[in-house]
Formats: sequence, C-alpha cells, structure tokens
Amino acid sequence: MVNHPRYIDPVKCTGCGECAMHCPVAAINEINKGLDDRRAAYIEYPQAVPLAYAIDFDACIGCGLCENMCMAKAIKYDDTERETAVKVGSVILSTGSQAYDPSDLDYLGYGKYPNVVTSEGFERILCAGGPYLGHVMRPLDREEPKSIAWLQCIGSRDINRCGNGYCSSVCCMYAIKEAMIAKEHIHADVDCAIFNMDMRTFGKDYEKYFLRARDNEDIRFVKARAHTITEIPETGDLILQYADEAGQMKEEIFSMVVLSVGLKIPDSSVDLARRLRIELNKYNFVNTGSFTPVATSRPGIYTCGVFQGPKDIPGSITEASAAACLAGTDVAEARGEDIEVIEIPEEMDVTKEEPRIGVFVCNCGINIGGIVDVTSVQEYAGTLPYVVFTDQNLFTCSQDTQDKIKEIVIEHKLNRVVVASCTPKTHEGMFMDTLEACGLNKYLFEMANIRNQCSWVHPNNPTAATEKSKDLVRMAVARVATLKSLHEKKIPVNQRALIIGGGVAGMNAALSLADQGFPVTIVEKEEKLGGMANRLTTTIEGADVEIYLEELIQKVTSHPQVEVLPRSLIVNFSGFQGNFTTEILVGPGMYERKIDHGVVILATGAVEYRPKEFLYGQDQRVVTQIELSERLKEKGAQDLNRVVMIQCIGSRNKENPNCSKVCCQSAIKNALHIKKLQPDAQIFILYRDIRTYGFLEDYYTEARKLGVLFFRFNSEDPPVVESSEAGVMVTFKDNILDRSLRVSADLLALSSGMVAEDTEELASIVKLARTEDGYFMEDHVKLKPVDMATEGIFVCGTAHSPKLLPESIAQALAAASRATTYLSKDQLTLSAVTAWVNPELCASCLICVRSCPYGVPVINEDGISEIDEALCHGCGVCAAECPAKAIELNWYEDNQILSKVDALLEGVL
Amino acid sequence: MIVADKKPIEEIIEEIKNHEKILILGCNECVTVCEAGGKKEVGVMASALRMYFLNQGQEVKIDEKTLERQCDHEYLEEIRDVMDQYDAVVSLACGVGVQFMAEKYHTTPIYPGVNTCFLGVTEERGVWTERCQACGECILARTGGICPVSRCAKRLLNGPCGGATKGKCEINKELDCAWQLIIDRLKALGKMDDYEKITPIKDWSTERAGGPRKVVREDVQQ
Repeated sequence: MVNHPRYIDPVKCTGCGECAMHCPVAAINEINKGLDDRRAAYIEYPQAVPLAYAIDFDACIGCGLCENMCMAKAIKYDDTERETAVKVGSVILSTGSQAYDPSDLDYLGYGKYPNVVTSEGFERILCAGGPYLGHVMRPLDREEPKSIAWLQCIGSRDINRCGNGYCSSVCCMYAIKEAMIAKEHIHADVDCAIFNMDMRTFGKDYEKYFLRARDNEDIRFVKARAHTITEIPETGDLILQYADEAGQMKEEIFSMVVLSVGLKIPDSSVDLARRLRIELNKYNFVNTGSFTPVATSRPGIYTCGVFQGPKDIPGSITEASAAACLAGTDVAEARGEDIEVIEIPEEMDVTKEEPRIGVFVCNCGINIGGIVDVTSVQEYAGTLPYVVFTDQNLFTCSQDTQDKIKEIVIEHKLNRVVVASCTPKTHEGMFMDTLEACGLNKYLFEMANIRNQCSWVHPNNPTAATEKSKDLVRMAVARVATLKSLHEKKIPVNQRALIIGGGVAGMNAALSLADQGFPVTIVEKEEKLGGMANRLTTTIEGADVEIYLEELIQKVTSHPQVEVLPRSLIVNFSGFQGNFTTEILVGPGMYERKIDHGVVILATGAVEYRPKEFLYGQDQRVVTQIELSERLKEKGAQDLNRVVMIQCIGSRNKENPNCSKVCCQSAIKNALHIKKLQPDAQIFILYRDIRTYGFLEDYYTEARKLGVLFFRFNSEDPPVVESSEAGVMVTFKDNILDRSLRVSADLLALSSGMVAEDTEELASIVKLARTEDGYFMEDHVKLKPVDMATEGIFVCGTAHSPKLLPESIAQALAAASRATTYLSKDQLTLSAVTAWVNPELCASCLICVRSCPYGVPVINEDGISEIDEALCHGCGVCAAECPAKAIELNWYEDNQILSKVDALLEGVL
Repeated sequence: MIVADKKPIEEIIEEIKNHEKILILGCNECVTVCEAGGKKEVGVMASALRMYFLNQGQEVKIDEKTLERQCDHEYLEEIRDVMDQYDAVVSLACGVGVQFMAEKYHTTPIYPGVNTCFLGVTEERGVWTERCQACGECILARTGGICPVSRCAKRLLNGPCGGATKGKCEINKELDCAWQLIIDRLKALGKMDDYEKITPIKDWSTERAGGPRKVVREDVQQ
C-alpha cells in the first residue's frame, strides 16, 4: 500500500483551520464542482475522516505561513510517500464510483453555459456546506432560479454517445430528492420538471416518495429525452428542445438545468483490478455471480458498493456487511487474536465523598483562545462550588494532556471532572476513557462546549463569548456535582442464532454463521426448504436456480452446526440481545420446544401476488410470469405465436402503491426466452415504466433488438382484456399513432408483483414493526438496512422488501455479518444510560407503555411499569412523559438537568 | 376512571392572586392517568405560576406536593404538619379530592385546579370518552354492555329515538347512537330477543335526582 503525503500530520492536526485561514493560495474546490475556491491547505469536506487538514502540493507556493500559524506543529513540508505492507487473509474492494463527466456531450452545453450544472454540482448548491451555503442560486448571476429542469440518464442508458448501456439506478431518486429540497429551499414558487424515459423508483417505499413529489409537491415528470440545450445570452436562461411521447417537437425555457449524471468506475479502480487480477465486466464493474454477489473472480477478494454495480446507499451498506461476512469467514479461526486488551484499574468508590471537581479549560490552539479569554474562564471556574483544581491546555484532547489529566486526578484526589472545550459529540468518549483509565467512574464527567457555542458563533464579540463560556462552565460544574457513578451491566451472549424462514435468504444466513462455528436453528413453516425459489427456474443471467437451490439445501441439511425445524410455528418469544428464548411448535407432531439463542434473523420471504385482474383464473391462457417461466421450461414455446405481457399487476396501484422491483426483469427474461425458442413470435410488453436498473438494462436493450415491442400505458387508461375463442383479446393505446390497437394473443402473461408473507402474528409475538404492506421495517431505511430496531434482530431477503435473488443473498450475508458482531463476543456491555421506574410513584397509567418508541415498558404483575435495561435505548421519552414523574433516566435525572438551568439563572431571578 | 381536564391558568391566577403562600397539590390516581393533575402537571402549573408572579413582581411562595389519593383521610393527613405554612391550596384532584381537602382543612381555602368531566375511558392517548353516569342501578346486563344512560343523549331505555341517522346521534354527527351500538352488539351476541323486552320505568332515585347519595356497607365496616 502507498500512502500519499498529506504534508500535515493528521495525528497532530486538531482541525482548527488556522492554516487554511492564512493560506494565500486559491485552488479550485473540486468537491463543490468548481463553483467556488478553496485554499491550498484544506479539508476536502466537513465530514471527512480524519477531520484533519492536508496541503494540496500542486497549488501550494511554499510560503511557510501555515507552518508559522500552526500551534499544534502539525505542518510537515518534507512529508514523503510511504509504503506499507500488511499481511491479510482477505481483501474487500469498495473503491466506489465517480460521476459521469458530461463535458463531451456538446448538445447539453455543460461547461459552456454556466446555468447547466451536474446533479453533483446541484447537490453542493443545496448543501449548507456548499458554495452558496445552502441558498439555491444559479451560478451565472446568483439569482434564485424560477424554474429548474432535470435531465435524466446523462451518461447512463446511452450507447449512442457514451457507451454506458447500463442504468445507474440512483439518479431517478436523487433527482426527485433534489427537486423536493429545491422546492423547500427556494422561497418563491419554483417550477421543477424531471425529463425522463422511465422513472425508476423501485426501492423500498421509493414509489411513495415519487407519488408525493408528483401529487403533493407539483413536480412535473416529462417523458422525453432532450436533444438540444441553448442559452438565451441576455438572460442566461436555457431553451430545452425535446420530442414528447407523441413525437411532437416541444420547447421550454428554464432558468437552470441539472444533468442527472450516472455512476462510472474511475480509471484508478480499473487499474487496481488489473493489478489484483480480478475480472471486470464490459462496463468496468466487478464481475460477480448471480449466487455469489460480493465475491470477485479471485478467491479471498470481495467487493461491495458501486464497484460491484450501480446502487444506492442502503444497497451499498448491505453489501458492505455481506463482504465483511465473507472476508471474516475466511479468517474466522483467527478472530480476536490481534485485539489489544486495555487494562482498566479498579474503580475508586467516591459515593460518600464530597464532590472534588477539576475543571480543564481548552484553548484549542487559538480556536477558542483567540476569542475567549481562557485564563479568566479558568480563574472563574476556580471560584465555583466544589471546584478544587483548574487548569488550561493548548489542546486538551492531545495524548500528553490526557496523561497529565490522569496524574492530576490522582494527585488532587478529584472525583468529578469538567472539560470546557469542544463538542461532546466527538470528544466525550475519549475523555470518559481517560477517567476510566485512572480509576474514576466515567460518568462523573461533563463537558462545556465553549468552542462551538462561544468562540465559533461569537467571534466578533470576545467579551460576550467569554461571559457565555463562564456561564456554560458554571452549568457544567453544577451538573457534575450531582452526578452519580453508573455501571454498565455486562450480560453473557448465547451463541446460537435463530433464523425464521428457510428460503434462499434464510439458508444463506444460516450457512454463513454455521461456517464460522456458530450453531444455527432454522424455523421453516413449510415441509420443504427453499421458499419462493422453489418456483423459480433461472435468473435473467441464465444461472440455474434449481441446481443452486438443490445444492444449497444439501449444504444446509448436512451441516453439523445447522438444525432445521420444518413445519414449525413460533408461539412465544421473550428476552433481549444475546439472550432470547423462543417457543416453537415443531411439526408434524406439533410438540413444543424452547430454544435459547443470542440473535434472530428474519427471513420470512414473500410470495407472488395472485392476480384478480385481467381474467386471471378465468381464462387458462392468462398466466403469471412465474407460471410462464415454468411453462417455457416444461412445454417450450412452439405454440406461442403472439404473447402479450402486462406490467405492474398488483403493484403501483391504490392497494399496493409500491413497485415490486422484479417484475420488469421477469417479463424481459421470459420474452427473451420465448424469442430464443421461437424467434418469430410476436411479443408485446405493456408497461408504465420499464425498471431494468443496473446491468438489467442490457437485457431490455437486447429484447428491443430482438423485436420485442414495448408500449407505455397510463394507470388511468389501462389495457382492456377480453376472452375470445381466437385468443385473449388485448386492447391498448399506441402513443405514437395516438390510437388504440387490439392484439389477439395466444397467451397473456401478467407481471404480478410480490406480496410479503403473512407475518402479522409473528410480528405481534416478537414485537416487530412492519410497513403498511407487511414488510419488516428496518431500524434506519438508509443507514441500518439490515438491523431491526430491537437489538439483536436482523432482517434479510424479501421479508425486507421485494428483491432479486443476488440481492437477497447479499442481504442474507449482511444479516449474518451483523449477527456475528453479537455472537462473536462472550458478553455484551449494556449502556448505563437507561430509564428506571420508582414503583412508589408509578400510577400504572400506561403512558410510558404508549409513548416508548421501542415498546420496552410493560406493566408487570405487581401493576407497576417495568423497563428492561437490556432493551431500553435510553432515549428518555418515557421519563419526560410520565405524568407521575415516576421514571428517571440515568445520567439525565431531573435534578441533574435542572441543576444546569438553576446554575444558568442563578442571580438573574 | 374519573376524567378531568386542565383549567385555564388565567382562571387559577384569578383565584389565587391575593395569596402569598400556595401549595399545588396533585393526586396520583385518576387525574395522573388522564394527564391533568399528576406530579408532572403539578410541576408544570407551579412553574407557570412562579413565572407569572415573578413577572408581576409579586413575592409568592409556591410549593409542590402530590398525594397518593385525595379521597382518603389517611393520605390527606400526610400534609397536616405543613398546612399551616400555606394560606391557600390549589388541588389538582377531581372535585371529590378538592371537597375532601376543604372538609379536612376547614380554615384554608382550597381551589380546584382542574375541571372534573366524567367517568370514562382512554380511547387513545389524549382522547377520553364518557361511559358511566353512576346512576346507582346498573342495567348493562340488559343492554348488551352498552349504557344508554350515559351514551344516549336522551337517556332512552327502550330503543332509539327518531333522530338517529346512519347510526349517528342527531346532536352530533360524530357521536354514535347508543342504541345503534346496543342493537349491533345484541345481534353479535345472538340476543336480539332482549331488545324486544320492554324495560320498565327506571328508579331514578338512586341517581342524582334522589339527592346526594351514600353507600353504607356494614359487612366491611369496622
């Protein structure tokens, strides 16, 4: 590995920003897409990790100003490239993507007309940390735009101009999001229009977002691909020319145009793949298999995120966990070997002592000290009750200050510590560790944020900033005196995993855990393993599902660590992370079994929607896509001369507003199959939006090449189907001819969507949240796509949302990976910040039970609210809501919070 | 449960503005459950009053206390020692508690801090509805468990009046017709025959109409 020089030591750098403030050189700010400048000493963006500055050596003129200004002595002009060799057991490639650069597409005017920006640029314009600080302005004249057009599929689905035949999968959603935020940020009315070929909002609940944009926010969706953009030189407005669906030439004027650019693999990743000798596909994404979605062609090397294929944030996070699972399985035997164990001295008992408070005030270089009079804050702290020691530091967070604090705590017998510096969000944990390292309970600590709340926001008023710092310190001292030692409970972890559902997802999760040595129990309600995959024949790529499933079932049933309970039913569930107990009725005798386990993986799956529409069940010639696949396998297509397919059956309608994600590719898969068996067959696919995301787009292209005919219909004007002896008569509208067509089909295939398995009872037994359409609701739709809100419970496969086999497998591996983070530990440490009930005061009013977002409090047998500390998330809602004031939250008890308010208002009243 | 609602703070200020030492007294029973007079509401009201008097430049001492119940002697006795420190009490208990306090502490003015509304249920958090009017002679056995005394605007005992439309009462379109509910329930129970039986004239003397009531239970008297 090569580490490029940063010229500023990230360990010493405190992120104070003095270097950038004094740097005289301006350079193009790439992160803001050149819409503003940055200095040669810079942080790429405010969320960067580490949050440390670096010098852009190409721009730097070597003036030495930053070196003079840096009080942390972090500037290192002689920094050099370092090479390191690490011996590892597995590798994960997650190098990501870059946005397509539309400069070469001359008809769009990007780079020529200032008011044409890419979606990346617009994203920065919307961002508070962006070039215009979050005010939506167009680059030419910094005026608020009156109308904005988004052009979709720039650098995607385009084999004509850029050779990227794939769909980038994310642009439809981000364009809607950008339009929604633009509407929110712009004070006047703004016309937002999204020019698209198909709106591909196929993710979980994404369709609802699209509907909200269209129906509630008046965002226009225009079915067209613009062919020319020209600027009106006097105003900077842009003329957009396009042909509408009926083929009419249209012109519209917009103040700004956003190009929704696609995702592309950077050359550096291509080069890396070549050096690592892993295969890439024709678009330079990593070649992965239908059933091995994160494994590269080289054993031991895995991939995730966009390098694997275009995808959104939850998909990337899911795959990241999946890759971690496989990478970890390879080296599972060595787990825990290189972990450094930190020795913690025995805790001093300070319960009976009077508070002895030490206050450490930080200068943060000149970040605080440049504005706030730190010496006077320190002196003031010394006058406060119970304060026996004060100090000030250049950087309180530096390693040597930590060591000094430890010595001082012991020397001055401090039993409470206050640090007046920056935000607890980034530094609280570190200071608490310091307390723990010298035998002081880490909860006897409080911070005063005199940087963000004083020096940063009041730089023009140093006197007031200093006074406010004193107020914050007085409040912190008041609170710390009231704090009590808290102890984090440790609980043992049962290493068995319970997997609910024995389909492809459940079995993959089971095998991943079993291969790492964890015992697994699969509860399956049917006689046979495999779930919905039992009905599938091949994937669109041509991989044989039947053979795969057979091998998978064989592996699962012969694995010594896996126990399968078929025809079983969950009847009772209790416990918490690491220690669950589930009661199961096991078939066929339905005898009762109790299983103790540490985690749960939900893999209950989904089924194909059984259509009520279009004569299904009445006319034998009307079938679903799965039935069609089975038929093609069994009977072939000799008798099929004319086939019609209708999309969005049981999806994107009033009853189920969401998109089922898989049906577009099912239709195209079957159409291609028919064309292969019977090249002269006529196939008509009637659709609303074709959603062949990612590389599936290639199959859509291929189908069109082979003569499959696609007709778009509106949901308000659906096709009409009648039965006749000659065939199934389908009437629909051709948008170009602007007239109705009627086709007599030998077979009508309904692309019917997915419906979640009925999990109502299970959800109520295990207390799990579900979406309106019955899919399990993850903890965070973007950032925690596999975890449920209850710790120790994970979800994967179609129990989460409709998805294709490779996606289900990736999520199953991800669930196993997340489960491993619990199972690989002997014990779990619970947070000490949990709520508790004073039974004397409890009126059993149920308000805590009703208000807890995690469903933790219960009224126990004594008629009193009880909060299980292993389940409590410490959010404090119950404590705030309790009308009897019977609930307190540790570390945030009423008097501990009120002491700060009292201290603040001391002498004012 | 007895359901109470918060009184406007202005009304309470008007009552107590001439006092100097005031106790806000909560009750940990019904009024806690209906979020009108528990320890939290006592704290909220005390803070609001302190702010008010501070703004007025008036020096008023406001203390907080919440008893387990205000309808039992023993609990009320718990504050006997401190009662001489106050020249007024605002009781956030129901009207029962306010009166019992007033009986017990004869020389201290006791002001009501809530409006006592009815005997009812929590439909959902923040929504309470009436179910019982304590008529003293329960007829629920005959009416499918739904009470026409409390839920029919006219307290009819033998079927609905002519004002019911589509199962709703004529006084309010949101309000279910009690007799519609009764009939639906009798049907569900397969007891529509009961509907045909004429309910005789009810003895209203056990209700408020008979004057203040009293229950004496010799079996449990000591």
